[in-house]
Amino acid sequence: MAKARAVLKRLKAVKNIRKITRTMELIATARFKKAMDRATQAAAYTRKIAELASDLAQSATDLVHPLTEAREQRKAGLLLVLASNRGLCGGYNAGVLKLALQKIREARDQGQALTLEVSGKRGLNFMKFQKIAVEVAYTKFEDKPRFEDVDAIAGRYIKLYVEKKIDWVDVAYVRFVSASRQTAIVETLLPLAKPAGTSATAAAAGPTIEYEFLPSAADILEDILPAAFKARLFKCFLDAAVSEQIFRRVAMKGATENAADMIGTLSRVYNRARQSQITSELSEIIGGAEALK
Amino acid sequence: MPKPLRLVLVTPETTLLDEAVESLQFPLYDGQIGILPGRAPLVGRLGTGELLIRTPSTTRSYFIDGGFVQVKSGVVSLLTNAAVVAGSLNASQAEAELQAAQQRVPHSDVEFAAKSSDQYRARKKLALSRKPR
Repeated sequence: MAKARAVLKRLKAVKNIRKITRTMELIATARFKKAMDRATQAAAYTRKIAELASDLAQSATDLVHPLTEAREQRKAGLLLVLASNRGLCGGYNAGVLKLALQKIREARDQGQALTLEVSGKRGLNFMKFQKIAVEVAYTKFEDKPRFEDVDAIAGRYIKLYVEKKIDWVDVAYVRFVSASRQTAIVETLLPLAKPAGTSATAAAAGPTIEYEFLPSAADILEDILPAAFKARLFKCFLDAAVSEQIFRRVAMKGATENAADMIGTLSRVYNRARQSQITSELSEIIGGAEALK
Repeated sequence: MPKPLRLVLVTPETTLLDEAVESLQFPLYDGQIGILPGRAPLVGRLGTGELLIRTPSTTRSYFIDGGFVQVKSGVVSLLTNAAVVAGSLNASQAEAELQAAQQRVPHSDVEFAAKSSDQYRARKKLALSRKPR
């Protein structure tokens, strides 16, 4: 008697959960499309900057820029971890945080001072649990990171790097490779890789264009490198936003399917319980009638 | 007849414009530049100020803030940090920005440079927002 009712209660709860996860899946899908659009639109800028930088590098080959020079002694570094503000997105945060933790341990073992900056509440909670001090915490980056905000952070990193307070900048985030593949990685943003100048591919592409430079190529290149760094950091944020929505969609899809399976099992159990209850009631009545004869 | 000009206006967040134009006028780091069809290849640093776009039918104006320009085979790519339609600039807001910049007291060379560039930007915005159209 009580069993059928208990099963019914669970059945209702699971049905509600399925509705919720299904809705979350749809929301994540819609957000993913929007984030994806933003990422593709922003890619135009990054691509153009890279193209310009390589064009310029052909004209100014002997460039020495503080952002590209690698330090011999790696004493102090900075690690930016991009996690999400909200959970229910499968292994998204776990993947990033695992990598980040590995980096933190590595730096600690080698006696390097590591400044840790974390974006996203999930990441902050994790660091709090691990009792690791977080220098700067960001919680404002949701699925629509704005360039202005990233610009401010990038500007600060450039300043720290040029002043030699830090020797490298790493970013741990989930990189968006394709709609079906996203990988958590740690990427080194500073020192910047030197823009490839006269590479074989560029030479094969035909005669290079004789540009007129205003001001000189070296001067422009000096300005374009910080812009390239900012664009790359911005891309990390956009990638992380896109990946988060994909992870959430996949997680919620799995949850919805699991709930559907569970509903099937539970309704079978419920029907059986109800049937056996009816049977036992009937046999009680028959038994009672028999006894009265 | 040289190839017609095409303008691609890109900000870090999005591609704002990608269209055929007749001529362009915008600030470089040291002064204005005008671009007509058939311009020789050019790479330059942008300044802050008004971007004037002339098409056969209309003339439009944008406010751009720094960045880079590349002219290559008739395509003008403007990579700028920020671009807004000049009509949407607000004079009182620009004035407030200018006031805020003017009241800052710089303590170092970096702060001084930041102050003067902010002032310059606000003045340019103000001038553009007051420009009769």
